[in-house]
Amino acid sequence: MKSFQAISAARRSGVRPSFGRFKPSGAAGLIWLGSFLIGLVAPWSNGSAAESSADALARGKQIYAEQCLSCHGEGGRGGTDGYSDALVGDASIGELSDIISDTMPEEDPEACVGEDAKAVAEFIYESFYSEAAQLRNRPAKQQFSRLTGTQLQQSLADLYQHFFGSPFRVEKRGLSASYFNSGRWDKKHLKVERIDPVLDFDFGREAPVEGVTPEEFYINWSGSLQVEHSGRYEIVVQSTCSMKVRFGHHQSVLIDNHVQSEGKTEFRRTLNLIGGRQYAIQIDFTQRKRKTEQPPARFALRWVPPGGTETVIPTEYLLPSTLPSGFALQTKLPPDDRSYGYDRGTRVDRQWEDAITAAALEFGNIAGKELWPQYKRKHRKDSDENRGRLRGFLEELASVAFRGAIDEETKRLYVDAQVDAVEDDQMAIARACLMIIKSPRFLYPTLDERAPVSRRVANRLALTLYDSLPSDAWLQDQADKGNFAVDPKADPKTARQQAEQRVRQAALRMSDDPRLHGKAMEMFFDWLDVDPAAEVSKDPEKYAGFDAALLLDLRRSLELAISDVFWSDSSDYRQLFLRDWNWTNGRLAEFYGDGWQPESETQDNRMVRSRPAQGKSFGVLTHPLVMGHLSYYDTTSPIHRGVFLIRRVLGRTLRPPNEAFTPINPELHPDLTTRQRVELQTGEVKCQVCHQKINALGFPLENFDAVGRYRETEKGNPIDASGGYVTRDGRQVEFASPADLARFLAENDDAHRAFVERVFEHFAKQPLAAYGEGVADELVRRFRENEFQMRRLIVEIAVVVATEEFNKESFNEST
Amino acid sequence: MNRREFLAQLGVSSAAASLLMGLPSLSSGADASARRKRLVFVFSPNGVIPKHFWPDSAGKDYDLKRILAPLGEFKDQMLTVKGICNRIQGDGDGHMRGIGCLLTGIELFPGDIQGGSDTPAGWSMGISVDQHIKNRLQADAATRTRFGSLEFGVMVPDRADTWTRMSYAGPNQPVAPISDPYQMFDKLYGQTKNRQMLASVLDDLAGDFKRVGKALSSEDRHLLDLHLDLVRSVEKDLKTEFAAATKNDSAGHAVPKLPPNIEEQNDNMPQITQMQTELLVNSFVADFARVASFQITNSVGQPRMKWLDINEGHHGLSHEPDSNEEAYEKLIRINTWYAEQVAYMAKRMKETPDPSGHGSLLDNTTIIWTNELGKGNSHTRNDIPFVMVGGGLDFQFGQAYDFGKVAHNRLLLSLLEGMGMPEETFGNPDFCGEGALSGLMA
Repeated sequence: MKSFQAISAARRSGVRPSFGRFKPSGAAGLIWLGSFLIGLVAPWSNGSAAESSADALARGKQIYAEQCLSCHGEGGRGGTDGYSDALVGDASIGELSDIISDTMPEEDPEACVGEDAKAVAEFIYESFYSEAAQLRNRPAKQQFSRLTGTQLQQSLADLYQHFFGSPFRVEKRGLSASYFNSGRWDKKHLKVERIDPVLDFDFGREAPVEGVTPEEFYINWSGSLQVEHSGRYEIVVQSTCSMKVRFGHHQSVLIDNHVQSEGKTEFRRTLNLIGGRQYAIQIDFTQRKRKTEQPPARFALRWVPPGGTETVIPTEYLLPSTLPSGFALQTKLPPDDRSYGYDRGTRVDRQWEDAITAAALEFGNIAGKELWPQYKRKHRKDSDENRGRLRGFLEELASVAFRGAIDEETKRLYVDAQVDAVEDDQMAIARACLMIIKSPRFLYPTLDERAPVSRRVANRLALTLYDSLPSDAWLQDQADKGNFAVDPKADPKTARQQAEQRVRQAALRMSDDPRLHGKAMEMFFDWLDVDPAAEVSKDPEKYAGFDAALLLDLRRSLELAISDVFWSDSSDYRQLFLRDWNWTNGRLAEFYGDGWQPESETQDNRMVRSRPAQGKSFGVLTHPLVMGHLSYYDTTSPIHRGVFLIRRVLGRTLRPPNEAFTPINPELHPDLTTRQRVELQTGEVKCQVCHQKINALGFPLENFDAVGRYRETEKGNPIDASGGYVTRDGRQVEFASPADLARFLAENDDAHRAFVERVFEHFAKQPLAAYGEGVADELVRRFRENEFQMRRLIVEIAVVVATEEFNKESFNEST
Repeated sequence: MNRREFLAQLGVSSAAASLLMGLPSLSSGADASARRKRLVFVFSPNGVIPKHFWPDSAGKDYDLKRILAPLGEFKDQMLTVKGICNRIQGDGDGHMRGIGCLLTGIELFPGDIQGGSDTPAGWSMGISVDQHIKNRLQADAATRTRFGSLEFGVMVPDRADTWTRMSYAGPNQPVAPISDPYQMFDKLYGQTKNRQMLASVLDDLAGDFKRVGKALSSEDRHLLDLHLDLVRSVEKDLKTEFAAATKNDSAGHAVPKLPPNIEEQNDNMPQITQMQTELLVNSFVADFARVASFQITNSVGQPRMKWLDINEGHHGLSHEPDSNEEAYEKLIRINTWYAEQVAYMAKRMKETPDPSGHGSLLDNTTIIWTNELGKGNSHTRNDIPFVMVGGGLDFQFGQAYDFGKVAHNRLLLSLLEGMGMPEETFGNPDFCGEGALSGLMA
């Protein structure tokens, strides 16, 4: 159950700047602090505060020094006994004046009112409080980073896949099946070819398909397993007959039950798998003819996804195409810093260092077993004098890992020295991989200043779009041809634009790739504040039927909703709020009722579209998984919902509550609705500073109970879903229903800007402001211009990040 | 001069010697110098040629026939056990029950693997004696080792079926032998090897940190410097660790060296056998395990011993009638080659001092060489070959035994008795009769 402590924790790790986010660590922090202090000495040096009367500012400064400084500290940094937080936020000067007039200074609110309050508000606003002031004081800056855990996993997966070919997007679902009237693969006896949506069969003693004898048959299932979220998956196979499961790589046997032996019918394997990746799977299932009695033939392919419960693997995770061999790192990596709201590789410690060593050893082992034989097959004709083939293999591996051709000295160190050190090939590969993967050339993706611009651009594209490195032949090829650099021979007026267009084309091509899917899915779950692996428990008396199986169906439903909005042609952000139907199945329909009634027949809990339910369903906003996460065990939490909307969806700032509160126990006020109870608790003036904003956004969602089920009454009273919001530009908006709220979020500028910034930071893993003043505005403008196409937005973000390298080149040349 | 003689000349007891040499066994407590009893089950397939295998007469004054001749050096430290019959019936053909019931003494489950005759079958219904002993040893802190047991293979096909599995952790739980010496090496020494490898590359790696860092601003370089400090501290820790290991360690923790790039191919079988033997001996010295199986190919195994100028596969030859003189001769030579491998293993153990201080490894290890059949062309499971070399079991060695015709479960019970962990029954109780065989124990 979430508590107010949880909220304040969430706020501390929030998305908008607050001073606490920039705790200096180590020398880098000290340098930055220096510039901050310098900024304070002359906060108006760029003249942006010209309109403010110098007199008022001087007066404000003086009042601040006399009445505020003792608590709020120099430059509003806080850190005193009176007030520890920094004075930063996005209230307007007017709002600030009112707050100061009403509440400050705390010991005597009458001491600073009217014009005085206004002067202080102006001073505070212009010198450190506002976002603009924060930017002036501390220009946001791209931070030099190592690969994050996810980036490391993805980069190694692509380094592996480079030798087998790139993945591709597959629309169809299910596994390809071939049924043979024979005990083995024999084309002459192939009877049925089809796609099986899921593998959950009980053939008994009957023939599995027409034309096949029940006494002897062979079924081959092949395709790939699509993984949406990184984590530990337990693969469970139930089989009464001989069977073999190959996974990831065609020679990698995950389960070998060549021998059918009575009583041995369940097989379990646990694997760490990576979100957005597909793993080739191939199953041989054989009923062998024999003199003795045969067991009835049963087969089921099941799993336990992270945080989930055991189910037959649903069809949406099965692809009928066999994708190229893949690799998933099994080494556990320590979590990355998330203090900015997204993973950052800005810290190194011993635990991380040791995990990298383990990862490098793991990869080296696989490289020797699976990549090296593959390379040898492809290069059978190359000369092997002086172990030339092995050197060739390792050089290729190093140049993919290091994101560009390697020079002689690098080759000598990472390839030749390792080959010469040991006679055994596997050992040489292990040594070289240990060196390569532990090398800063691999671990720091932007450590490529000396590479040609075109290469660096490709590197940024892969890092931004896939959290990975360029491993696809076409991308490497274009990069090495200089396609992604400004052509010095072209007309200087248009050369840059043309180069940018080429980069955009490449990004567009890259955006139609399952690797983007993985990174986007992670972004959406993160944005919606839903941990895919989290257990959610609700009061079993009030919400009978809300169990682990239902929760897993909800997860599937949300994934499908996100995927199909995101991958539809329009990829329209607004649909995230406006869509009036859900992905549903029998179980969900029974529990959720309206908005969840299947449009077509569904069986085996397969997901289908629901009939639309206007006014009762608003895209992912009111998806039960989202609403349920933003609720308590047995009641909703308008506060969690309001905070979620303010911070994540509208991108506004909230400071933490004055102290941690425990919500009022509903049993103390049995007659009050949740809305009334929240109003009662947050009614005090000092609470209302924030809670008038929070509550007014949370209340319109009161139609959705603690499990996200639509309701019109609570405790016999009709739901009051009215609320409102004051936009960044000071406009008051009123909502009468969740529909008003959803429409508002779909169309509002604050929400668009917040979404752009969130997407940017998730994909670039750098602050948006670090890419120049106008970039955010420009991205928002394009987002709107492109009818809120989310995939296009990501492409534009990748272009912004990648074409930064153009500027660096000119900088290098001019110095 | 071996280590024992050397120490004897110095005039110190072996217990004191342990102290002097700072053996790691000391750290395991007061019982450190207790004798470490060990067992190795060596398997070779397809039966033998009895006439050239079994001694003519039982007793101490026994003769070694052609096949056992390579073991001559160990005549006083070995024994042969004739008259042992695998009586297990039920599903599976003779070969399957031959290997699948050999160490388990119990039937196979019904299943779908059809052999050349009889009914199809699955896996064994019970645990094998090696795994049972391992569990007993592992349950006791005084005899517990890192792995408990190790399952070596030589050219066992990469195929999990009833013919390729001898060892079982329990019903329907076959234990796969490791046939690739490099894979076994990794299992045994992977961590040590990886740490040595890590230590050997860190300095070069650190050098490259300096190269790449040059172009960075001092602010960015800060993170890289912190990272480099970590690399250096790992390097330092490893140096300290290795220095301490060298100072405190005896040969016990030395890592054996394998010849490079030996592929798992028929023609490399002699070399692979030696490599696996080397790993086995070393893992006993390091006390990684006290039970091992050493499975040369599989039941129905088809090695082609080209190094003996024999181009046909072993199983094919074993079906030839005795009247085929050429095949008969080849089968004698094939089995003699297996005996040579057992002899080599025994020799390596004899020349290796036991780190517990009690003589050589062989003084405390019994190698049990066995087979799934008595004779190839008849598929009989009577008179299954059992030859034991070395003093792990508390048996009377230096003689040939003949028990007439007893169920092999009773011999399995004798092995338990010889290990000091007697049981009333093992496997199918119907075949355990009067329990362990009498006359074997010293």
